[in-house]
Amino acid sequence: MSGADERKVGSLRELSPAIEPARDLWPQIEARINAERSTSAAAAPPRSARARAVPPRWLAAAAVVASVAVGVWIGRSLLPAAHPGAQSPLSASRASFADAPTALDVAYVSDPRYQRDRAALMKTLQARLAALPPPARAKVMASLEAITRAKQDLQNALGKDPGNALLQELLVNTYQDEMRVLTDVQASDAGRGI
Amino acid sequence: MTQAQADDTRVDWEAALVQRACSGDSRAFERLYREHAGRVYGLCLRMTRDVQLAEDCTQETFINAWRALPRFETRSSLSTWLHRIAVNVSLAKRRKASPVGPSLDDEEGTGGAIEWTLETPVEVREIEAAIGALPDGARDALVLHALYGYSHGEAAQMLGVAEGTCKAQLHRARKLLRERLNVEVG
Repeated sequence: MSGADERKVGSLRELSPAIEPARDLWPQIEARINAERSTSAAAAPPRSARARAVPPRWLAAAAVVASVAVGVWIGRSLLPAAHPGAQSPLSASRASFADAPTALDVAYVSDPRYQRDRAALMKTLQARLAALPPPARAKVMASLEAITRAKQDLQNALGKDPGNALLQELLVNTYQDEMRVLTDVQASDAGRGI
Repeated sequence: MTQAQADDTRVDWEAALVQRACSGDSRAFERLYREHAGRVYGLCLRMTRDVQLAEDCTQETFINAWRALPRFETRSSLSTWLHRIAVNVSLAKRRKASPVGPSLDDEEGTGGAIEWTLETPVEVREIEAAIGALPDGARDALVLHALYGYSHGEAAQMLGVAEGTCKAQLHRARKLLRERLNVEVG
């Protein structure tokens, strides 16, 4: 077990439950996972005709929602300060963001071009939404609501930890996601959906 | 930041990684592995007493966890969930590797909580050796209860035995440790 550990303890609860394996077991785990994934992907039934008929823009919008959801999760999870466990991989990931530029979001939203483009897209949003088929309209509205919540969550988190570069980056990504959805809606027409 | 806040942050961070792993992100799952591998391997090693078997069990645990991750409830503890899988995998591997040992299923539980304090401090390696020399059932119960902090009920559920049996195994473990370490285990 802990071979050379000559430390004395007065209770079994002082023994560390964790024992690090002598070798890294992850590569084999990863290989098995990847093998299973390729097997299941090969065995997966062909996509239905309905799924194939979905336009690419629709998939892009779904991807936006997924990325926003991940962003919200990450944003929520990282506020406000570092986890004290020095060995946590979280510390490493935070460190990698430590040198990132700060106040990205401020620079992004205060850009006059962004403000102008967004205002123009918002102006026609309601009319564009009204022209969409109901399922597409519902999906877009859900996406925009998710984005609004994500922005609010990230802004709240940044209020508690203004220097957190990762949160700032996620917020900028969320602004960009919103612009993509608005642009897609703008480019859509009633016949095609988005 | 208080410890409670730190724990909350950790759980939230973990939940985010679980979400990402569920959507197929193996890098997120690797981070979960790095975070939990030591405790899972420690459990497997103490249960199997064999480095190779413990490595196999640890890998099997995480592969099973990857498969079952979509069914994991993020509100519950990932650590406990992984330990349950590890216990199941270790018990199965051990059954395969060696014949079934004597059971204490008919014994009654003999008491309440045991503090597991030692009258005289003992070297870690000496205690680990004494734990390793315990019979399987007693060792399993002791590791889960005294080292990993699970209640009698939780440990019993993980091991698939009655709570009374788990208590009896703990009593037996205490008695054997007292004899082997030549100190009082309170």
